[in-house]
Amino acid sequence: MSEHDVAELLPFYANGTLDAAERARVESELATCATCATELGELRALASSLQGRADAAPPLSERAIDAAFARINAAASMTALRTSWWSAPARYATAAVLVAGIGAAAAAAYHAHEAREADGEYVTVANGIAREQTAQRVYRAGQATQAEQNVNASNASRAAAAAAPAPPPAAVRAQHRLARKAELDLLVRDVEASLKAAQSTISAAGGDVTSLSDDTPRTADAVHGALVEADVPADRLDATLERLSALGALQNRKIDAEDVDDAIVDEEARLRNLRREEADLRKLMDRGGHVGDILQVQQQLSDVRGQIEELDAQHQHDLHRVATSTIALNLTEDRPNATPAKPGPTARIDGAWRAGLTALADTITAVLATIAWCVAFGPVLLTIAAVGYVAIRAAKKRITSP
Amino acid sequence: MSEADDRALLERIARRDRIAFEAFFRAHGPAVHRFLRDLVRDDGLAEELTSDVMVEVWRSASKFGARSRVRTWAFGIAHHKAIDALRKRRPIALPLDAVLDAASPASDPEAAALRSDDRRRLERALASLSLEHRAVLELTYVEGFSQSEIAEIVDCPVATVKTRAFYAKQRLRDALATAENAR
Repeated sequence: MSEHDVAELLPFYANGTLDAAERARVESELATCATCATELGELRALASSLQGRADAAPPLSERAIDAAFARINAAASMTALRTSWWSAPARYATAAVLVAGIGAAAAAAYHAHEAREADGEYVTVANGIAREQTAQRVYRAGQATQAEQNVNASNASRAAAAAAPAPPPAAVRAQHRLARKAELDLLVRDVEASLKAAQSTISAAGGDVTSLSDDTPRTADAVHGALVEADVPADRLDATLERLSALGALQNRKIDAEDVDDAIVDEEARLRNLRREEADLRKLMDRGGHVGDILQVQQQLSDVRGQIEELDAQHQHDLHRVATSTIALNLTEDRPNATPAKPGPTARIDGAWRAGLTALADTITAVLATIAWCVAFGPVLLTIAAVGYVAIRAAKKRITSP
Repeated sequence: MSEADDRALLERIARRDRIAFEAFFRAHGPAVHRFLRDLVRDDGLAEELTSDVMVEVWRSASKFGARSRVRTWAFGIAHHKAIDALRKRRPIALPLDAVLDAASPASDPEAAALRSDDRRRLERALASLSLEHRAVLELTYVEGFSQSEIAEIVDCPVATVKTRAFYAKQRLRDALATAENAR
């Protein structure tokens, strides 16, 4: 290696970034070359004056951070405008509302026309009929779109908010961070197989099972049940719920969405303030001074760090809640042909006693019914008997009298 | 801040964590700003470019391909932004006194005392160097990057970095000697 090659490596020897082989070469050259050693001395002096100059450089203004935040917030608003408010369900909903509005207006116009027609305003009857048909067509189109909107609403889980006629303006609510929690109750033939299928569905969606309770029955007549709790990425929640629902007969499906946006924004603001405070305290520490003052600043710095860590943990937790949704899946065994229980001796005596009581009650009812029948029909029967008797007596008298 | 810390922050930034972004800004912003200030020699522009670099970090955090250190990557963005800005806008050569005044605020008597003849000479000598030479001096002696990292930041072969580092020092030494003789 020539002296020039070593001279080119010296700056990086001075800043300690050479690899072991290059360092060894430079060191062996330095041992014999006085010029190289002088050069290294100069480089170290240069490094020290450049570092001194850098330390005295003016600090970066808070304006730079504020400007960066303003830009990323503006970008986030634009993204929210494009993806959240103008999402596919919202587009359908807006279109549906527009068409429904036109339909309603047409219907109102039609009714008004009908009223005016009754007053004899329209001269040509045919003209009136044509208008009526047009109005009805538009009105029906409005109804059809409304129906389509309803289908969308039942399909998409977030449609309750998205398909609302008036979504909040993007400028007011640029971000819409929700922590979602879903509950699913299913009746399944085989709980164990469904449990395995559910677990693989959850892991395929990139989720994790966080809790599992499998209640295997001890007796033959008890029903097998299991409860699975899982976290899945928020954007996969709907698809995962669809796939899980297909595992059995759906008994109940519920989705709760909690808006954690305010909490997150608040945490961010508080953290920014605390970090500024921390930066200021660090500057004070660097400036030095009396031992008592330094200790006081150190104590304050440690308090601020503690608050930052606590708040940061909460912030991470809230972001996690937005990024991942929770699913509680309840599986219950479905047994339509479950064998009835065989009764024991006590149950048999109890059964006989109940059967006896029922028979007694039936007998009393029958007797009471007979009495009631007799009371009701007695007068009629007595009248018929009396009429018959009188007729027979009259006939006998006629025969016996000469 | 260690490389592991930087990567953890960058992962959080990729998940759109503003707190991580601010922590990253506070950790690397001052060094990036200092580097940009030396390259563009304009305080206002350097500040503006520092914001640009950090916004780029925010945007591209998810695309960071762990080939290099996070710090190297951020300085690479800074170098690129500086070259771009200088291409669009003629560099404003600050009067030397303005540079020195900004470097040591008058309110700080200690710093004012440091504003010795040596510092003045150093500023004058640095101002006479090319952008490439200033960049390599700053990256080597102040930021402590290796040859291959500097090659990545300024986007040139390692051999060029070595040559530049060698000649930057020669030029600076010559400029300092000229300033010394001029006294």
